[in-house]
Amino acid sequence: MSIDMSQFYQVFFEETSEHLASMENLLLNLDVDDPSLEDLNAVFRAAHSIKGGSGTFGFTDMTSVTHVLEGLLDRLRKEELPLKAEMVDAFLSAGDVLRAQLEHHQGGPETDAGEIEAVCARLNQLAAGEEEHTKPHKGASDTTATVAEAAPVRQIRLSCTLPQNIAAVPESVDNLLDALRDVAAVDVKIRPNSADNTLVVVLTTQALDADLKDALAFYSASESISIHPEDEEEAYGFFVDLPGDASTSNEDPGYGFFDDIPEQTSTALKAEAEAVADVGYGFFDDAEVFPAATAQQPAGGEDPGYGLFDDSPGNPERHRVSPGDSPAAIEGPGYGIYVDAPGGLGLFDDAPGAERVLKSSAPPPFSNRAATSTAASPAASVATPAADAVVGRRLSDNPVIETAKSGRRDNDKTVTAANTDTSIRVAVEKVDQLINLVGELVITQAMLAEAASTFDPVQAERLLAGIDLLSRNTRDMQESVMSIRMLPMSMVFSRFPRVVRDLAGKLNKQVEMKTIGDNTELDKGLIEKITDPMTHLVRNSLDHGIETPEKRIAAGKNPKGTLTLKASHQGGNVVIEVIDDGGGLNRARILEKAKEKGLAVSDGMSDYDVWQLIFAPGFSTADVVTDVSGRGVGMDVVKRNIEGLGGRVELESSPGFGTRTVIRLPLTLAILDGMSVGVGGETFIIPITTVIESLQPNLDDIRTLAGDSRMVHIRGEYLPLISLADTFGLDGVKDITKGLLVVVEAEEGKAALFVDELLGQQQVVIKSLEANYRKVNGISGATIMGDGRVAMIIDISAVTRMGLMNNSRQRMAA
Amino acid sequence: MDYPETSGVAASGEYLTFTLGAEEYGIDILKVQEIRGYDAVTKIANAPPFIKGVINLRGVIVPIVDLRIKFNLGNFTYDQFTVVIILNIGKRVMGIVVDGVSDVIQLSSDNMHASPEFGSVLDTRYILGLGTVEGRMIIVVDIERLMSSQEMSLIEAAAS
Repeated sequence: MSIDMSQFYQVFFEETSEHLASMENLLLNLDVDDPSLEDLNAVFRAAHSIKGGSGTFGFTDMTSVTHVLEGLLDRLRKEELPLKAEMVDAFLSAGDVLRAQLEHHQGGPETDAGEIEAVCARLNQLAAGEEEHTKPHKGASDTTATVAEAAPVRQIRLSCTLPQNIAAVPESVDNLLDALRDVAAVDVKIRPNSADNTLVVVLTTQALDADLKDALAFYSASESISIHPEDEEEAYGFFVDLPGDASTSNEDPGYGFFDDIPEQTSTALKAEAEAVADVGYGFFDDAEVFPAATAQQPAGGEDPGYGLFDDSPGNPERHRVSPGDSPAAIEGPGYGIYVDAPGGLGLFDDAPGAERVLKSSAPPPFSNRAATSTAASPAASVATPAADAVVGRRLSDNPVIETAKSGRRDNDKTVTAANTDTSIRVAVEKVDQLINLVGELVITQAMLAEAASTFDPVQAERLLAGIDLLSRNTRDMQESVMSIRMLPMSMVFSRFPRVVRDLAGKLNKQVEMKTIGDNTELDKGLIEKITDPMTHLVRNSLDHGIETPEKRIAAGKNPKGTLTLKASHQGGNVVIEVIDDGGGLNRARILEKAKEKGLAVSDGMSDYDVWQLIFAPGFSTADVVTDVSGRGVGMDVVKRNIEGLGGRVELESSPGFGTRTVIRLPLTLAILDGMSVGVGGETFIIPITTVIESLQPNLDDIRTLAGDSRMVHIRGEYLPLISLADTFGLDGVKDITKGLLVVVEAEEGKAALFVDELLGQQQVVIKSLEANYRKVNGISGATIMGDGRVAMIIDISAVTRMGLMNNSRQRMAA
Repeated sequence: MDYPETSGVAASGEYLTFTLGAEEYGIDILKVQEIRGYDAVTKIANAPPFIKGVINLRGVIVPIVDLRIKFNLGNFTYDQFTVVIILNIGKRVMGIVVDGVSDVIQLSSDNMHASPEFGSVLDTRYILGLGTVEGRMIIVVDIERLMSSQEMSLIEAAAS
């Protein structure tokens, strides 16, 4: 049986990028001095989900990075380590690495292995940074066995309880062992059979525990797998018999204190295997009663240890260590239980005795728990130094992923449940189809209304009322359907805190970023395309706009600059502003540069025209080309991109107070603001963004050049006159005084289009001509007018080119 | 959509027959989306004369080809009897104007013959075969190949 996983890849890719984005967002909002535990948990959950997903789909490179990331995060959220600024940096770069890896899996370039290693090493180092002074007692042998991420070759003993149906079939067991041999050298100690379904193997491996569990995941629930350093042999039998106990499943360092359990204890425990197993279950059952406690201290298995030490009068030293270093342990349910367990306390005082253990473990269930602690207590008192070391280790070592398993799992479940409730993933085509259909409905409704308007309002009262209702409903429906494609601007804004943070650091500037109008909605297609131009503007503002703190102080400003991103609706447009409170544009400098470049400028130009020079290709006033900006490829690209989206860019600046860049965009890519004009009985749409003015031509202003080529003199400029009727081969108005001129501006410059009449201005839905036909020169698309007829949308650039060519051809002919 | 390389005689099936001038043609009914009257079309700039323009077919922009003009059949009146057959060719939708739609017929391979070289208005490349039903001769057209052909210039050269 093989399932084609690739069909689920896309879902994984999408989800992972979402997780990465939310992780980054949370990290950036994290207050380093006083991190919110909730946020840390959320970051952790995101990392964990990525790890889980990548593991499932076999993207092991991502799994290993998230594994390391999770390790440090886990310690942070348990408040074992204080959060530091460099940790946030490390997390962010780990996020970048993960994103690169994700892109690689989607067919992008290979991720730099050195970078991955560097990030992992940095995370490990941060996780280990605090370790050194809290684990002075720790033995060298323990270090290698428990620092999971270090991944040295190590010998471990792995045991697991297999489901009966696997254990009983030798072939299945062989398969399982083969799976293990892929990652480790295997020495089988106890081979499972139909009577005993326990598997014990000694592995020599470099693989992480999580990898080993992955290898076994198909055969056995990971809860039933326990992995220990090989030197813990004696304690081992005990754990084998705890099938369902989540806490024992892990390489839980805490169990190290069984290292030196005397032989008889372990035998006694074996004899009492049933009871002990119950203890394990019993404990967890009870633990679930304290959900809060479980979440914080889910590795309940550790609690008996802490509780034991705290209450064990014979070990005052440990008593001191525990509460100080592990506040969580004190809150854990284990603690309360042990304090209240009279039997347990009594036993501790009396020190070890196998018989007594057995006796006290008999009455269920409360003193059963005490039995667990007693089981540990002989070890504790016999091997004080060893146990001592263990305590230190448990407190300092990052318990990595495993310790928090049960609590985290609960969290994940709730998060997923919430997600499924609030959103669904739908293919964009389906949405577009729906939008199309609703558009049709609107036209049909308009037709109906038109037809019904001829009826006698008294006789057809009910019909007319129904049509009124229909038109209201269709309008509402169209609105809500359109809103499906709309996404909040925060999707774009959210990436900038990171950009600003990184850039400000690089440029040694202090910048505070503000966003206004995050919830302004914009079409998904526009959201995707506006990000690049905006990134450019933000970089420009940081590099050229906002000054260094020294300069700002000298200018009497707050050393910390402010960059504001603002989005709002204005009429049928979305207006996005990038505002900085920096030095503003330098008019003299721009003019000087423009003269250098040979652009047509004069000192008397209006500010507006001067600022427009910035959009000229190759224009940069920066003295030094930095890797941030200054190469002069920029504003022209920004302008072109935004105009490509049917939008406009404007600049406002005042020296010393800053610069404001305003981007005006249509609400969606599918809708265009157009001026409808009539030519030879056909309707054409001219994109309103290209229209400068329209006027009735004066015969005196028309100059005929050689041949038929005409120019029109408008406000001191001579513009080529292009007749749309001629360009499109239509039979339009010939008499120039009977028609109208529409002055448009395209890449090629200004031109005057000669049309028969102006019909109006309206928003039109852009439809592709190419879907069923082919590209038509001079036409960028088609649209359906209110009366159901098709109108062509004019591609101004192409028409200008065509018109100029026509003119010159005619000139040649003449 | 697949473009079966049909050769010689078409497989049997149902065909929509229409008249163009004096001849009766049949096209695979599965390629026909619907039949509708002739509406006002929007002209396309610089298109060949047989491409009448585009119409709005429930939100889809559909080009209309007048086969009568294409094949020089003289009679180009457009009135309430003018019929447009909307075709589904590949993923494209297009309409053809014909003189009239007759009916839907069943043609089995028994009453279909390979087309001889003859003087139809249509190039034999686009003819799948000749069918006979009740004494009438029906020219079965490979409408898909015809509409995708270069000379119809409905599809970008690279796409055909």
